[in-house]
Amino acid sequence: MPADRSPGMDHSHYSYSPLPSRNALKWPNEKPLAVGALVLLEHYEWDPPQDAYSLRNASGGLIKLPAPDYVQLTHREYGHRVGIFRLLDTLERYKIPVTVAVDALTALHYPWLMKHLGERNCEIVGHGISASRLITSKMDRGTEAEVIANALDMLEQATGVRPIGWFSPEGVESARTPELLAAAGIQYVCDWPNDEQPYTMTTPNGNLTSLPLFLEIDDEFALWNRRASLASWENMIVSAAHRLHSDGRRSARHMMFTLRPWLTGQPFRIRALDRALAQVMSLEGVWPVHGSELIAAFNNTDS
Amino acid sequence: MADRPNISWPNGARVALWVAPNVEHYEYLPPRDARRNPWPRSPHPDVQGYSHRDYGNRVGFWRMLEVLDQHDVRCTASTNLAVFEHYPDIGKSMADRGWEIMSHGIYNTRYLSSMSDQDEREFYQDCIDTLHRHTGQKLRGMLGPAVSNNLRTPDLMAEAGLTYHADWLHDDQPVPIRVDGGRLVSVPYSIELNDVPVFLHHHDTSDFVEIVKAQFDTLYEEGAGSGRVMALALHPYLMGMPHRIDGLDEMLDYVLGHELVWQATASEIADHFIEHHYEDFVDHAVSLQEVNDAR
Repeated sequence: MPADRSPGMDHSHYSYSPLPSRNALKWPNEKPLAVGALVLLEHYEWDPPQDAYSLRNASGGLIKLPAPDYVQLTHREYGHRVGIFRLLDTLERYKIPVTVAVDALTALHYPWLMKHLGERNCEIVGHGISASRLITSKMDRGTEAEVIANALDMLEQATGVRPIGWFSPEGVESARTPELLAAAGIQYVCDWPNDEQPYTMTTPNGNLTSLPLFLEIDDEFALWNRRASLASWENMIVSAAHRLHSDGRRSARHMMFTLRPWLTGQPFRIRALDRALAQVMSLEGVWPVHGSELIAAFNNTDS
Repeated sequence: MADRPNISWPNGARVALWVAPNVEHYEYLPPRDARRNPWPRSPHPDVQGYSHRDYGNRVGFWRMLEVLDQHDVRCTASTNLAVFEHYPDIGKSMADRGWEIMSHGIYNTRYLSSMSDQDEREFYQDCIDTLHRHTGQKLRGMLGPAVSNNLRTPDLMAEAGLTYHADWLHDDQPVPIRVDGGRLVSVPYSIELNDVPVFLHHHDTSDFVEIVKAQFDTLYEEGAGSGRVMALALHPYLMGMPHRIDGLDEMLDYVLGHELVWQATASEIADHFIEHHYEDFVDHAVSLQEVNDAR
C-alpha cells in the first residue's frame, strides 16, 4: 500500500509544529516552567470480561502467573490502599496540585477514596472503565462512545463534577478516540507524549487540547520498564527540570509527572521522589498547576 | 584484523568518526507485515509509541541541532526519506547544513525483510529520486529501514549504484562486500554506541557518555597502527530529551577535542577506503581464502 507522503502528519488529529517555529509561549507572570502531577488510579479486575483487551505484559507482580495472578493484582491494589496517601502527602508538601486519572471501576469500588480526593482538592480526569478493559481499535465506534460516556458518568456520580480532562487506560487509544472524546465534552487529553508544550488537536467534533505527559520520567516507563535505578530517576527528573526551566525562558514549558501509587507510593521509592521534588520546586519561577489550569492558560495565550 | 593491510586516514588521523542522527517517521497506521510488528504494545494505533518518536521531530531534533551546530558536526543523517515530504522544515535544516543524507528507507515501519527483488529495485529508485528531488544530493548509502534487509540487499544496492551499506556490525573498519556487480563496502555503524539500545534498559546519560569515551579511547590507541572507524548513532527522540542533551555536548567535546580525529561522513570514509585500500583488502581476503582452500 503506497503511503500518502504529503506534508504534515499521517493522521488528521493535529498539525506538525516544530517547536522553534512557534510563537513564544508565555505562562502567567512569565513563569518559565509549569509543574504538575498526574496520578493514576488504575483498577485491575480479578476476572475481566472475555472480550476485554489488556496489555500482554502489564506491569506489577513478579512473573506472569495464571489468572487470577494474586501477586500482580495485589501489588497494584497497594496503590489504592496505601500508596495514594503517601504520594498525596509528598506532592502536597511541595504544593504541587494533583490531577488524578480515575477509572470507572475505581470510582465504583472506592467511594471513600473518591470523597477523600475531593477533600484534598484533586482534579479528577477520565480514565476509561478499567486497566483490564482498554480502549482499542478492536472496539466498534458505538461501544467506544459508550465506554467514554459511562466513565465520565461514573466520575460525575462519585464526585459531583464532570471531568474535562482524559487519560486513556494505559495510554491506549483507537484511531477514533480524539473525536469521540471531543463529542463527549472532553477539553484536554493526555495520551500523546510528544511535546514539551500543550498544543491544539482538531476533530470533526471540535477541538481538543493535548497535554503531553513526559514519558521518559513516567515512573512505570523509567522504573518498571527500563529498570532505571532510583538515583538515576531522581537525576533524570532534576536535570530535565533544569533544562526545561532554562529553555522555558525563551518559550515556556511544562513538566507533568505521571505517578502510580502502587509504584512510587512504595516506602523506598517515595524518598527518591521527595528528593527530586525538593530540587525541582526550589527553581525560581516554577508554576505548580492542575491539568485544567495549564490548559486554560495555554488556550488564553494561544494566538 | 591482526594481519590486514594498514588503513591510513587523511592527515594521519587515527579514527574516522561519523555521527549519524536517525531522522525517522514511524507510521501511525503502518501496513501489516507478517514478519514484524512495529507496534506490538496494543492493536494499532499505538499512540504512546508513536508520540514518543514524534517528540523527536517536534522538539528533540531541534534541541540536538543546536548542540551539533556548536560543534560544527558534519552529520550523516540516517533518514527515512519520507521525512523530506512530511517535515520539510527538518529536511531543509539538514540540507542547508550540507549534511550527508543516508537512506534509512522511506519509513521506519516498512521493512525490506519480505520484499521481492522487483519491489526492492523500485524502493531504491524511490529513495534515490526522493533524495535528489529535495536536496540535489546523489544517494550514496543505506542503513536499512529499522535495520531491515534480506540476502539480496547488497547485490541490489550495488546494482542501484549505492556505495556503502551500514547494516554490517562485524568490524571496526570498512569491509568490501562481495556483490554480483559493481562495488559495495560496509561502513561500520553501531548498535553499541547507540542511544536506542543504551536507553532501552536502565542506563542513563552518564553511562552513555562513559561508553562513548571508552570506545573512543581504545580505537584512538589502536588507530595509531591502522585507522579505525567509530560511528555515533543518535535518535532525536531520545538524545534530544532535556535530561540527555548535555551528554551529547560532553561526548562531542571529548572526542572532537583529540587532534587525530577525522570527522567525516560515511561516504567520505567509503570513498577514501575504496580509493586507497579496497584492492589491498580484496587481495588480503583472497589470500585468506587460499590459505583456507589449501587446508
